[in-house]
Amino acid sequence: MTRRAWLRLATPVALLCAALLAACGDRSWNGKDISHLMPALEFELTDESGAVVDQSLFAGRPVAIYFGFTECPDVCPMTLAKLTAAARRLPPGPRERLQLAFVSVDPARDTPARLADYTEAFSDAMLGLTGSQAQLQALTRRYRITYGYEEPDAQGNYEVSHSSAIFVFNESLEAELMLLDNLSIDQMHSDLERLLEDG
Amino acid sequence: MTRILSGVIALLVLLAGALLWVGQMGPTDALIFENPRVRLTPGTGPMAGYVTIRNRSDREVALVGARSPQFGQVMLHRTVIRDGQARMEHQDRVPIAPGSVVEFRPGDLHLMLMRRQQRLNVGDPVEIVFEFDGIKPGEWTLGFTVVPVTAQ
Repeated sequence: MTRRAWLRLATPVALLCAALLAACGDRSWNGKDISHLMPALEFELTDESGAVVDQSLFAGRPVAIYFGFTECPDVCPMTLAKLTAAARRLPPGPRERLQLAFVSVDPARDTPARLADYTEAFSDAMLGLTGSQAQLQALTRRYRITYGYEEPDAQGNYEVSHSSAIFVFNESLEAELMLLDNLSIDQMHSDLERLLEDG
Repeated sequence: MTRILSGVIALLVLLAGALLWVGQMGPTDALIFENPRVRLTPGTGPMAGYVTIRNRSDREVALVGARSPQFGQVMLHRTVIRDGQARMEHQDRVPIAPGSVVEFRPGDLHLMLMRRQQRLNVGDPVEIVFEFDGIKPGEWTLGFTVVPVTAQ
């Protein structure tokens, strides 16, 4: 290849590299940016101690919320295990600021005491919440998600369908990110780290 | 002299071990099970079992059921996530094509272990009996290990 041909090739290659670098430096998240799509956090629920609480409980702290139920053997522990592993890798400052919350959409079975045992197994930073159907519906509708109950079996066990995403809010409780279940721990961690740096 | 002798003994032990291992593999191991584990969930609710099953035979086999002395009921389930909504689907049959692998893994196929009959802790063994269609014998008993809820 002549020197001229090399030069001719070099320009598009350099441009491509520059474009790739710019793309990597872009403010793109692994999760979905919901900052202009979803409203700020607002709820009234019951916490692990049985006390009625609202969003002011989390004021001043970024919070990551997952909706599920404790009799969920697969996807809930999987997602909460990923979230807690991602949070544990944060530097001490951001790690202590980040609040994790598990909202059970199965209040008939998930009593405050049961939620306390459940969240304790994952992280000290995780708080269990639940509420009446009206309270849970108000919160889930706010974030355009749903939940539902399937027919109980002969023993009275029933399945619950629920959202598979983690919703992340900043310390002003404004919606920031939706972390989908298919993200790796690394991807969740890098999103959380960046969000907490900005905060 | 002692050194040579101990070398010979070590070699014999290794050979015997290898023979025993090959002997155990035998022609009956048409199915290979890898990484069998049960995730310990807090409380008394159902737990999930995971394992990779390799069909080394030349015929399709299907997992049609499972049971465990440590659980009241074991079901074959699959987590299905559609439009951001997670739910579980019961599976009557999980076919495994000849020479292929089926993975029971988090967020996908899993054994749903219901009504634990005893308290379980991390590291405890769990026995699960699989019922297969298309292979003789049809029942395969496998030892699982309880892993922490935070295990990946």
